[in-house]
Amino acid sequence: MSMILAALLLIPFVAAIVSLIGSRRAAETVTVAAGVASLVLTVLLMPVVDRRGTVHAGVWLRVDAISLVFLLATSFLYAMAALYAIGYLRDASAPEEDTIRHVRRFYAGMNLFAWAMLSVPIVNDLALVWIGIEITTVVSALLIAVEDTDGAAEAAWKYVVLASAGLSIALLATVLMYFAGTTALGGSYEPRVTLLVAVGGSLPPTVVKLSFVLAVLGFGTKVGLVPVHTWLPDAHSEAPTPVSALLSGSLLTVSFYAILRYVQIAQRSIGPTYPRTVLLIFGIASLLLAALYVLDQRNLKRLLAYSSIEHMGILAIGTGFGATIALVGIFLHVLAHAAAKATAFFGAGSVLHKFGTQDMRSIRGGLDVLPWSGPLFVLAVLALGGMPPFGLFRSEFQIVTGGLAGDRFALTATLVVLVTLAFFGLTLFSTRIMVSPGRDLPPRGEASGWMVAPMVLGVAVLLVLGVHPPADLQRLLELAAGELRSVR
Amino acid sequence: MAHVPTVFDSVANVIAVGVLLAEFGMFRASMVDSQLRLYAVQSWLVAALAAVVAATRHVPSLYALAIVSAVLKAIVVPWIMLRFLHRADVDLARISKVRVSSIVLTGIAVAAIGFFAIGSLRIQSPVLPSAALAIAAGEVLVAFLLIIARTDIVSQAVGIFSLENGVFVASLVLAWGLPILLALALVFDLLVAVLVFAIVIRSLHHQEDTLSAEVLDRLKG
Amino acid sequence: MSPAAVNAVQVLTIALGAPFVSGAVARMEAVIQGRHGPRILQPYHDLAKLFRKETLAPRGSTWVFVWAPLGAFTAYLVVPLLIPVLTSYPLPLGYMGDIIGGGFVLALAGFCVALAAAESGGPYAQLGSSRAMTFGALVEPSILFIVFTVGLITSTDLPYALAATVRSSFGEIVRPAHVLAAAAFFMVVLADTGRIPVETHTGTLEFGMIDEARAFEHSGPLFALMKWGSAMKQFILYTIFVNVFIAPWGLASSGAPQSVALAIAALFLKALALGAVFAILDNSFAKLRLFKITDFMAAAFLIAVMAVLIFYLGGG
Repeated sequence: MSMILAALLLIPFVAAIVSLIGSRRAAETVTVAAGVASLVLTVLLMPVVDRRGTVHAGVWLRVDAISLVFLLATSFLYAMAALYAIGYLRDASAPEEDTIRHVRRFYAGMNLFAWAMLSVPIVNDLALVWIGIEITTVVSALLIAVEDTDGAAEAAWKYVVLASAGLSIALLATVLMYFAGTTALGGSYEPRVTLLVAVGGSLPPTVVKLSFVLAVLGFGTKVGLVPVHTWLPDAHSEAPTPVSALLSGSLLTVSFYAILRYVQIAQRSIGPTYPRTVLLIFGIASLLLAALYVLDQRNLKRLLAYSSIEHMGILAIGTGFGATIALVGIFLHVLAHAAAKATAFFGAGSVLHKFGTQDMRSIRGGLDVLPWSGPLFVLAVLALGGMPPFGLFRSEFQIVTGGLAGDRFALTATLVVLVTLAFFGLTLFSTRIMVSPGRDLPPRGEASGWMVAPMVLGVAVLLVLGVHPPADLQRLLELAAGELRSVR
Repeated sequence: MAHVPTVFDSVANVIAVGVLLAEFGMFRASMVDSQLRLYAVQSWLVAALAAVVAATRHVPSLYALAIVSAVLKAIVVPWIMLRFLHRADVDLARISKVRVSSIVLTGIAVAAIGFFAIGSLRIQSPVLPSAALAIAAGEVLVAFLLIIARTDIVSQAVGIFSLENGVFVASLVLAWGLPILLALALVFDLLVAVLVFAIVIRSLHHQEDTLSAEVLDRLKG
Repeated sequence: MSPAAVNAVQVLTIALGAPFVSGAVARMEAVIQGRHGPRILQPYHDLAKLFRKETLAPRGSTWVFVWAPLGAFTAYLVVPLLIPVLTSYPLPLGYMGDIIGGGFVLALAGFCVALAAAESGGPYAQLGSSRAMTFGALVEPSILFIVFTVGLITSTDLPYALAATVRSSFGEIVRPAHVLAAAAFFMVVLADTGRIPVETHTGTLEFGMIDEARAFEHSGPLFALMKWGSAMKQFILYTIFVNVFIAPWGLASSGAPQSVALAIAALFLKALALGAVFAILDNSFAKLRLFKITDFMAAAFLIAVMAVLIFYLGGG
């Protein structure tokens, strides 16, 4: 079992190296293989975690229920993005030599990105978590700029500056938490998450409060919480589509994982109220701003990016509610959002590819032109808006239930209103481009089957998660919620 | 009136103030060369602080950290940045959009806010005086101000690096016992970040043919 | 020696030694530049020559033009009574004023000179006068904060007290508030005595003249008094810096003639060392453009504010 953890860390790294030196075919194959292998390994871990609670590999690697949820989301997206990328990169019409270099860089970058994102939930050390997220920042910045389009360099710059500034704050938070731990653990110790959670009750409250707020602010920069979200719309809209999917679907949530660990430690020291209040503030702010911005978007991918901010806000609010059912909701939300956002981005990528522009005012008649990705895109967007029977409806419903259970009626009402607002914005724009008839349409047909297959998978997963999540998964989610909630 | 701080405390505080003053100095430096030089000076000061702590508080792992961070941050980082800039063949003089004296005054106010906010928490560390933590917090805030006030991307990048310096000083105060492996991993991590910064700057320069940040306004809303 | 006699010797030392310090610094500067340079005692010869010349006053100037140099000179004679020049203990007249009082008297002197220059009607004199007043105003906040630091460290604002405190232990020397206050005061001295990077001490570049221009319209004995006063001001500022902030040793602890004589020698030694530092700075940096001088003032202010803030943080 512990071999699985080591394998999860090794496989994407090896894939990156192979992509860097091999042919296009080799890079494609090894990336897809790595993605599928990670997914399979993660799924294999599920029954073990259900039964035993955690899986160790030495003291440095540890997967518990919370980590496993994020691992599932990330590895699933890894596989999907790998499949999509095959079709996405196959249409390059540049000369051969340039293309092969570009392809190698692309796949190597994707594999490294996935490696970094997979490592964050596995490592058991607060400093290593920070380092992992920092590595994701640098790799994703390079990936955003890899295609050399007009806005890409600007987006990459904003991303790297803001994310680095935010992560510096997060480093300060890590160091403060370390300092808090020194009162109980002595001057020099390994800041393992398990260790800090264990001694949580004896940590000095002032330091922990400061550390927590800085952690939310710092890691929240990478999650896309308002007001440190300003890099997000640019970065997610200018990046190449598979990268956008990974960014929106996995990276945001992996950064939220870091915040969850801080919640775990902090609530043992200062009680659950303070962390929840902080998260609620940031969550509502994010949801409000995102909902308002969604109503005023012209760029398709930017619209989806703001939707990501909205969903991250929902995650924060759910954690802020704190009831068990709400926490189950947020973990389900992580999985469902990954699937939905990725599918939506893939569809947007197909639209961009077919119509040559992202400007929604000039795109019409998508359903006529894209027989597969069109409807799938519409379904994904409906899912993002919270429509039943998809998984996001179930998770949001659970979060709302949690809010009502905690007597937070005003906040829950605000949540529902804002989500509805965002739903209007999302569906209005995206269905308009799909359904309204248009003239001078490009030729009908999908660019590549590779770009459609992941979308089918995504929607299928959404349906499964919404209608009837498998029992194993349900147990896993409840286990994770229990772990997050425990204060002793 | 107040007690006299010990010699160690005074020396540590003076070095920390030096780091802060170097940060202020970057406001004045209109040429990127001088900014990078100030960053190198700042990095030497930070490494000196680490060495002083290692010597007087008997934390030998900090020696290694001091040496590695001095080499990486004071020598390698400016070298990388300057090489990229010279290869990009770019005019290195830039002017900030706000006058120096006004922004120094704003910086003093911001630093004072940071001092007293962190100072009021009375965080006592056995390794360095708590004033050093307050100074580091002030330095972080002033670095943010620097990033905001600058209109060219290289200065913003140097601003981020000096921000890391401030956090480094704070971590010397708070996490002096962090296992050496982790500390070294952190420092190398920053080096990788620098490389990425340089690459992105190059790519931006390639796109826009300028290093001014004022052209970065295409993506809005 | 009686305290009154020591007091008198203090004033005489400053008054008679000031041209010597000026001359020595000018000689050091020239040597660094590779020239032979003027005689060290040249300023004395200049003063003697000027006292023999006739006085001219511009048409339209009033008694202010004539009496202002006298007023400034008198003020410069008063200040040495207040600061630790030769002794480590306060002399009777030393309680007449504290640091702030000394600052006021120095400012009074500057005011007299500026008034006379403004009154003279000559363009360069007025230029220098207005610039001096402006930059003087910009230096004031830094001086204030330095005084605050002195007050915070010693709970009084007698310069003698700070000198005693600095002498008392090594910890007092390296304490951040003291180091920063000394650094800020160094920059203030630089600005007030008209040295690079604020002004070129030698030469008559009208674009950069501040202090030098104020005496432009005076002639004869009045000009001699102006020059002498300016040299005294420089010596006084040097004295405050070395005897209060950085090197308060070598001061006489009793009124015995030998200790006083030793104290005089030590004072000159320290002042010349400081002068050497200024000479080296003169030759190492370029003069700042006029409107960049505010950057310099801002830097001095920054350091002075840091001194006070770090005191309140408990670190200094």
